[in-house]
Amino acid sequence: MAQILIVDDSSTVREEVSTFLRNGGLDVVTAVDGKDGLSKLKADSAIKLVVCDVNMPNMDGLTMVEKIRGELGNNTVNLIMLTTESSPNMKERGKAAGVKGWIVKPFKGASVLETFKKLVA
Amino acid sequence: MNDFPISKILVLDENPSYTHLIKQFCDEHHLVALKVRRGAEMSVLRTNIDLGGILFSEDYGASPEDTARIALEIHSARPELPIIIRRETHASLSGLPVSAQAAFCAAYVASDMAALDKVIDEYIFCLMYPNALLRGISEIAHGVLTGQFKDAKISMDTPYIVHDRVIFGELFSLIQLESPWCRGYMMLQSEEEPLLELIRASRAQVPADDFRRVNDLLSEITNLIWGAFKNRYIGDQRTSPGTQAQIPVIVNHKHKYISFGTVNPQLCFRFTLKDPIGARASTLFARFVFNLNWSPEDFKEIAHDAANLVDSGELELF
Repeated sequence: MAQILIVDDSSTVREEVSTFLRNGGLDVVTAVDGKDGLSKLKADSAIKLVVCDVNMPNMDGLTMVEKIRGELGNNTVNLIMLTTESSPNMKERGKAAGVKGWIVKPFKGASVLETFKKLVA
Repeated sequence: MNDFPISKILVLDENPSYTHLIKQFCDEHHLVALKVRRGAEMSVLRTNIDLGGILFSEDYGASPEDTARIALEIHSARPELPIIIRRETHASLSGLPVSAQAAFCAAYVASDMAALDKVIDEYIFCLMYPNALLRGISEIAHGVLTGQFKDAKISMDTPYIVHDRVIFGELFSLIQLESPWCRGYMMLQSEEEPLLELIRASRAQVPADDFRRVNDLLSEITNLIWGAFKNRYIGDQRTSPGTQAQIPVIVNHKHKYISFGTVNPQLCFRFTLKDPIGARASTLFARFVFNLNWSPEDFKEIAHDAANLVDSGELELF
């Protein structure tokens, strides 16, 4: 049972973000791409927040969040994108899919920890 | 940082009458001249894998035949390097042994160095790079490396133009750059062990017990530089339909050689990363190869609405 799902194809990012959040007292599970993320989310109803990259193999992050809201019909989980992308078009697509926030990499944990804690409360 | 890239060239010209002239020319034309001890040409070539070209002279060998032999040997080893020969009487290849002419791209005479200027522009600095791009890439890459190796001291050389195609180190990453004004690749090259040592020294939370750690980190560094490049210079622009030509990229492992199918040079940024307490430094090259399209006249920096700007790493809530 985890509170946060980290979805990123980079093991460096998965490790850094999950270590930081675990040290901050949060339960974290990780996935390597959008497909893996969808299946981990389906399997764990305790997940309250998904932190997701955009550019990933097999299934990109924006497609994944669209499927979370559409195919899975999950309208309660909070979605945050953590990506190198910052184009307005991408953000608009994210907003339309129900993404709650956007972080341009690199991840600087301290500034988001409290917000993440509120989102999983 | 200089506003113009430099290029490293080998100077195989020992005639003392022209030493000062050539040095002055190099100083004035963004060229870093590497003098070579006679007989050491091939070993210098082996240890300098990021050259822009070679200045040669027709009296470099003990005889015309010897000069031709040396030129052909160098050309055979590194055919991608433009070799420009200084002639005594006329700025052309005529009169040289026919077999040797193919080794040279152009000729010049010392009495007309302005002509050499044109040759250098044609064969070495053949692509123009906007100053804003040079500065921007430097800032982006330096920022990413500083973020990834927080305690390391990171220094950067002046960007330079490379015609060599030899791969540095043991690992490299490759990612496509696609925009209306450029199409090609960014390639990061480095050595495994020095990078592992740096990870051990500056990223204690990451166990550096496996080469895959270096791979993963290089991949993330590539991703961060690429992302920042896109955000700053490409934005939502897309390449126009009908310009999607592709050229195979060839990697020859045995010869540590990579070809992007074009004679276009590579724009190279060299970073040195030093662990503040360790002795060893790690070198990382970021090379930009615009092999599919280069239209610097269409280059522009993406203007962001300052009111909507959010710093990287900060959460922008919708």
